[in-house]
Amino acid sequence: MNRFKYIVALLAVLALLIGAFAGLAQDEKVLVIGWSENTDAYDPANGFTHSTHIVNHVTYSQLVTFPDEDASRIVPSLAESWEISEDGTVYTFSLRQDATFADGDDVTADDVVFSIRRLQNFKGNPSFLADGIDTVEAIDDDTVAFTLPAPRPSFLSEITSAVFSVTNADVVMANGGTAAEDAAETDTAGAYLDSASAGSGSYVLDLWEPQNRTELVRNENYWGDAPYFDRVIFIHMPESATQKVALEAGDIDLAFDLQPDQIAALEGNMDVEIYRGIGTLTHFVIMNTDAEKSGPFANPTVQLAVRYALDYEGYKTLWGGVKPATNMTAGFFGNLGEEAAFSRDLDKARELLAEAGYGDGLDMTLEYPDMVYSGVSFNTNAQKIQADLAEVGINVTLQPGEIQVALEKYRSGEHGVGYWLWGPDILDPLDFLSFMPPGKVATERNNWQLESLPQDIQDMIARTKVASDPDERMALFTALQEYTMQHGPFAPFNVPEVATAYRSDLLGYIWHPHWLLDVSILSRAM
Amino acid sequence: MSFFHYFVRRALLVIPILLGITVVAFIIANAIPADPINANLPPNALNDKDTIAAFRKKWGLDKPLHEQYLTYLGNLLQGDMGTSIKTRKPVAEDISSRLPATIELATLGLIYGTVLGVSMGLISAVWKNSLADYAARVIALIGISFPVFLIALIFLNVFYAQLGIAAGPGRLHPIMRSPPTVTGMFTIDALLNGDWKTFGNALSHLILPALTLALYISAIISRITRSSLLEVLNQDYMRTARAKGLHERTVIGFHGMRNSMIPIVTVIGLSYGNLLVGSILIERIFAYPGIGFYMFRASTSQDFPAIMGVSLLFAFIYVGVNFVVDILYFFLDPRIRIA
Repeated sequence: MNRFKYIVALLAVLALLIGAFAGLAQDEKVLVIGWSENTDAYDPANGFTHSTHIVNHVTYSQLVTFPDEDASRIVPSLAESWEISEDGTVYTFSLRQDATFADGDDVTADDVVFSIRRLQNFKGNPSFLADGIDTVEAIDDDTVAFTLPAPRPSFLSEITSAVFSVTNADVVMANGGTAAEDAAETDTAGAYLDSASAGSGSYVLDLWEPQNRTELVRNENYWGDAPYFDRVIFIHMPESATQKVALEAGDIDLAFDLQPDQIAALEGNMDVEIYRGIGTLTHFVIMNTDAEKSGPFANPTVQLAVRYALDYEGYKTLWGGVKPATNMTAGFFGNLGEEAAFSRDLDKARELLAEAGYGDGLDMTLEYPDMVYSGVSFNTNAQKIQADLAEVGINVTLQPGEIQVALEKYRSGEHGVGYWLWGPDILDPLDFLSFMPPGKVATERNNWQLESLPQDIQDMIARTKVASDPDERMALFTALQEYTMQHGPFAPFNVPEVATAYRSDLLGYIWHPHWLLDVSILSRAM
Repeated sequence: MSFFHYFVRRALLVIPILLGITVVAFIIANAIPADPINANLPPNALNDKDTIAAFRKKWGLDKPLHEQYLTYLGNLLQGDMGTSIKTRKPVAEDISSRLPATIELATLGLIYGTVLGVSMGLISAVWKNSLADYAARVIALIGISFPVFLIALIFLNVFYAQLGIAAGPGRLHPIMRSPPTVTGMFTIDALLNGDWKTFGNALSHLILPALTLALYISAIISRITRSSLLEVLNQDYMRTARAKGLHERTVIGFHGMRNSMIPIVTVIGLSYGNLLVGSILIERIFAYPGIGFYMFRASTSQDFPAIMGVSLLFAFIYVGVNFVVDILYFFLDPRIRIA
């Protein structure tokens, strides 16, 4: 039977092929990132996901930005300086003279106006971010003015977002783009901007195969410092286990979505470096202030007891990171910090429950999404909450739900007691007002009404929205946070750390709270 | 019955099945108690009435369900499967760019699986109750009872990350570019382009996922081969063949295998259908951008046009495979021609 011999020979050839092509020579300086791509679009007016922002952060420039390492202050980018009117509603930016787009065109005030108007009128996923801009006008070629409906101290932080990228108006229009009021119906530049960029960043989008790969090449006309890598390739690897093996094998330089146990398994691997930093996702218990939905947990005394009952150090052991005092994102200006946060006090919790009339114990149903987000398991935390609260006589029934279904109930304010996480919409302490009435989470999702607050707190909330003096802001945020710690319906318990693993020859990696990853500052050891 | 009659009768049956599939897929996709708005718009955009209205209008979600269905069906008849909410490309285009990857993988998986399965079944049957038989049956048991994702992860960890003798995830090494598209199958396109380096790299990336698939289907193929062959080996004509003094290899290989082929071919055919639609987990773990990978993302983001398109494709593959198997019966089994 010669057939068997053929089969054996065939298998032998295949086996040889397995290893034959492992090493590939390369002349270009290439950076390969393994990530779980969630890009909805690379068109700045339409994309609103982490992976969109990581790419658009380097393919486009914005008027202002944050420093490479944190979000502590605003620094110039396309705008070299700016002025704020007395009443805080008009921001006038002067553009740099030397900034050009990747095709060599000058960046002008008209491009800025076009980009912002297109964003507003396109009605894409991120367009709501531009709702708070009344008008944007070019004063001359290099000067552009934004008018806001009311003073908003977070405005500069807001426009650091890649959503506010300045696009080359001529290129976008030549490819079907428009900033006209009917842009939502008539703009057809999306397809072009999803496969090429029209920006002034250090890289140019070269290729996007959705859910597969994204490639950037260096922008030879970049007005700033040239990046080290000639080409950056993002490979979609939805399973973090896959990213881990690819990193170990050296096929990717950086694994973006590893889970804590996988990071732990890489400790001690000489070829791999691990970066740890404070994250921006706050995990919290939310108790509906409508007693029809949450029963006894609408009672502020019971809510306070829950805050005393949680084992904060335990969550920190599980996920690292910090113990939050309030729902204001860790590291923000005005944050009360870990020192002010609750420490577990079971006696105090029992005392409060007795005071509220629940000395004999009570039942809670905890609703939460059945998911692992950025490596943190909601199931694990929910079980820990269950165990923590059992010690003070709160009998918790866990109710995990499919994410979309659970989200629906949470967003419409129909939940009783829930467990969710929050990542800031804007990197500004003003984001905290989402957790104070009439903010989104407080009122829309949790029925916490402004009228129920003491008048002085209501006044403070109103003042916080417009105050721009740092001392005054500090005082206001401190008072509001202290109020929610005692009377609020939230129990934030952990801000998990972020950890990223990369090949040890990769230099310059920093996790940024806003754009997460800046590939333009990375280089490779010789 | 003439072949023509048989063929037409089978072909006509396919139409109501496909139509039924569109209804079922549409109802299931819409019955999930969650809103595609939540799945596809960023959380903060959910406060913006204009954005939501624009999204609903754009994707036809503002119309009643039956109207949505009829529109979909109408477009489908004109060859338009709609546009994916997530990738923003025509679903037909998405499918045509991803299906070849899956066909390539499934085909190699089927070849490996058939070789492995038939050889194990043959060994088991010929040397019934021997050590080799037990070994083959244990391998089959592992293949069928081990979760495929676990096998995939073990393969990747051992052969790729630790030993470094196999290629890793994806269709090509990250820094390699796809060959010019002709068929969409990288191995074939690379060969057509005379690019041996890309061919070798594409083939090496197929090996681990294909072996994972092969292990899974070889289990059932080997069991069917074993039982089918054992039945044939007990037939009178086998004794006659031996009595004629034929060599044992001819007895087993020619008289035995040939007569036991019908159930084996059926199982292999159906396995191919399974491989084409059922490699969702394998594709995900191997970051292999095929149709299963696409389906996974479409379902988790409630991308209705994509879900519908792929469901239809899967149904079509199953119906198609069954159709081909039915047609093969006509030629393989004379009794069908007579009945």
